[in-house]
Amino acid sequence: MQAPHADEKAVLFGRYKISAYDEMFGSEGAPRAHYAPLFDRLVDMGAAEIERRHKVADLTMRHQGITFTVYGRDQGVERIIPFDPIPRLVSSSEWDRIQRGLTQRVRALNLFIRDVYHNRSIFKDRVIPAELVFGASGYRRDCVGLRVPKDIYIHVSGIDLIRDDRGDYLVLEDNCRTPSGVSYVLKNRQVMKQLFPLLFEEYNVRPVDDYTDKLLSVLRHIAPDGCDEPSVAVLTPGMYNSAYYEHSFLARQMGVDLVEGRDLVLDRGQIFRRTTRGLQRVDVIYRRLDDEFLDPLAFRPDSVLGVAGLMGAYRAGNIGLANGLGTGMADDKGIYPFVPDIIRYYLNEEAILGNVETFRPTIASHKQHILANLEKLVVKAVDGSGGYGMLIGPASTREQREDFARKIEDNPRGFIAQPTIQLSRHPTFVDGRLDGRHVDLRPFVLYGEEIFVLPGGLTRVALPEGSLVVNSSQGGGTKDTWVLHDAPSSSFSPSRAASAHDGRA
Amino acid sequence: MLSRVAESLYWMSRYIERAENVARLLDIGLDLELDSAEIGVDEGFAPVEIALTILACREAFPAEKNRRSRDAVLRFLTFDRSNPQSILSMIARARENARGTQESIGVDVWSEVNRLYLFLGGSRAQRRFARGPSALFASISHSCLLLDGLVQNTLPRDEVYHFLQLGRHLERLDVLCRILLAKCPSLTGEAPGPEVSFQLVRWTSLLRSCSAYGAYLRSERERIEPEGVIRFLVLNSDFPRSIRYAAARCQDSLEAISGGDDDAYGCEAERILGRLESDLRYIDVPEIFDRGLLKFLGSLQGTCYKVSDQIQQSFFLM
Repeated sequence: MQAPHADEKAVLFGRYKISAYDEMFGSEGAPRAHYAPLFDRLVDMGAAEIERRHKVADLTMRHQGITFTVYGRDQGVERIIPFDPIPRLVSSSEWDRIQRGLTQRVRALNLFIRDVYHNRSIFKDRVIPAELVFGASGYRRDCVGLRVPKDIYIHVSGIDLIRDDRGDYLVLEDNCRTPSGVSYVLKNRQVMKQLFPLLFEEYNVRPVDDYTDKLLSVLRHIAPDGCDEPSVAVLTPGMYNSAYYEHSFLARQMGVDLVEGRDLVLDRGQIFRRTTRGLQRVDVIYRRLDDEFLDPLAFRPDSVLGVAGLMGAYRAGNIGLANGLGTGMADDKGIYPFVPDIIRYYLNEEAILGNVETFRPTIASHKQHILANLEKLVVKAVDGSGGYGMLIGPASTREQREDFARKIEDNPRGFIAQPTIQLSRHPTFVDGRLDGRHVDLRPFVLYGEEIFVLPGGLTRVALPEGSLVVNSSQGGGTKDTWVLHDAPSSSFSPSRAASAHDGRA
Repeated sequence: MLSRVAESLYWMSRYIERAENVARLLDIGLDLELDSAEIGVDEGFAPVEIALTILACREAFPAEKNRRSRDAVLRFLTFDRSNPQSILSMIARARENARGTQESIGVDVWSEVNRLYLFLGGSRAQRRFARGPSALFASISHSCLLLDGLVQNTLPRDEVYHFLQLGRHLERLDVLCRILLAKCPSLTGEAPGPEVSFQLVRWTSLLRSCSAYGAYLRSERERIEPEGVIRFLVLNSDFPRSIRYAAARCQDSLEAISGGDDDAYGCEAERILGRLESDLRYIDVPEIFDRGLLKFLGSLQGTCYKVSDQIQQSFFLM
């Protein structure tokens, strides 16, 4: 009985190296308490069985078309995001802190956006330089003085967290426009339940599947005044958008129409959709389209994705939009270093979740430091996303560093730099055994009548060995994130773990 | 329902129906050729090759293949992405339409369309074809029928369902016309025909091309003869692959979509179909032969185009 166990352990974890902060193993090399049952179960199951289930998961995703589109030649190639079957576990106490931290952060950012478009007291009190905000690409002059339903701007956000080498959660990036990935959270969970039903049952995992119900309530909450039965739609750029699967998934789960710009039309200040029975009114739009594409009259005249006149309808209060317009300035990376100040200013609280140390080339001493240490730093364009427009110092060539040095000199406002953080690592199934791979976590936050943090989130995995880039567009994968209800000691007695172990024969 | 979605559903359904018909035509054609190699291949009646005529893609078939090997024709009609009438092309278009309407058709239907597309475009379908195409055609047919089963059993009877039904039955009407038009000239003496001894085989093949052989024998209880076959395939009101049946189902769907009552019609397509249906109800076979079978079928197909055009006007171009 012990022999195969030892063999399997040797196969599965034989070449496992612990470095950075390891999610599963403590510094002495033993599994952390809440990971112990998972560890045992994986060893019991063995590499071949994990491999088999992994293939089943891939096939399920392929058949259901759970894909994203990689831009490039032609119209892009549909791929499934690599799915890793080893779940990430977040203990109840860890989650409690994350939840409080995210709630605080989103509340403060929302107050910040409202203030910038109305009173601007934060500039008067000299907490943030005004030109930094006005220069942000996500800042929309059209929104100045514009009242939005219930004063909520950031209805859906996805805030990227990482863990540093001590295991502390830090915010890496705020995403307050149209963050993607929640459909994978929900789908990964469905797949995991089919793949590992017993394991899932043993752990007391908090459910995620009410996300779309909550999202629908948020959307209904921001309907124009006097609209009792609001008609809601999800607005997608179309089938060739990389996140099309998600748009379609969310519309289906909420039971609302998935519309494209060409399905909508403005008539006497209101938005209608073209149906087989004529025009029908739309009251709330969950738009998965960037601001500048929303309305060719207000923003980019060449956009064929939006609806001419939408901005006017929004301004007149005839349509609810989620997220609100102009939220992009809050997740600008130039603003990011100030978020702890923003929290302090509006809420009179200290930030529960810290920031990653950040250098700004607009400050002379910072610039000097950045230029002198490019090979140690990560440099990011303030309005970049998806892993584009980044320099990862330790992995860069001299040419790339020189290129970035020039860019920083030319446009100091356009970049920030951060120390290279060794993101925490998690056992990941690669080539028939488990290896440590760097991960981050994108939890999703909904802001309606109250703020709701989905217990879980998208754990993204940098699949190439040693890589720190987790974006799916750059070859990253995902894994399911299990937020546990209780401390594991109460749901696991040693005898249960042992019997699961014995059951293998 | 959104006009764009209605249009996608309608076309998705048409493509699947047509793909199923092509798979069946090829399967039965192949079977016939293997059975009786001597049937006038040289007269353009080779059962597999006639599918080129039915699908109006004889011209598109690469001319350099002057010796039209059976295998080349089968591949051209099954896998060739440059041929819009190949099964793979049609399933690809059905899949694009389904992908754009996932939120309407549900996971079951979408997954099945997607699965069929991935299968056809992958190496497994090629291997199965190489081992013997018949099994491949049968499995394509089964997938298409499974899709219809999923539609029947997972979707509520709302607009989504009715647009799917409308597309399916209008396509069926169209394909039936095409099959009859392609196969009848040599059968009815309107074109120079072969000896009578072949005729029986051919009428039988016509019935089988429409999945109607067994049903015909049970229903007509008589020998296979031209009048009976035409009556069955054109005028029978209960057989799901007769022209009258398909026309009636189109009309049912249109009524449900437009919500009209019995005394009025909701759109032009409904009026044209209503008139067609009453024609088919009261005409008899001698009159069809009097008018000329081919002429009759030709005008039937014209009606089909008109209906399709009117559906476009009334629902999709809003």
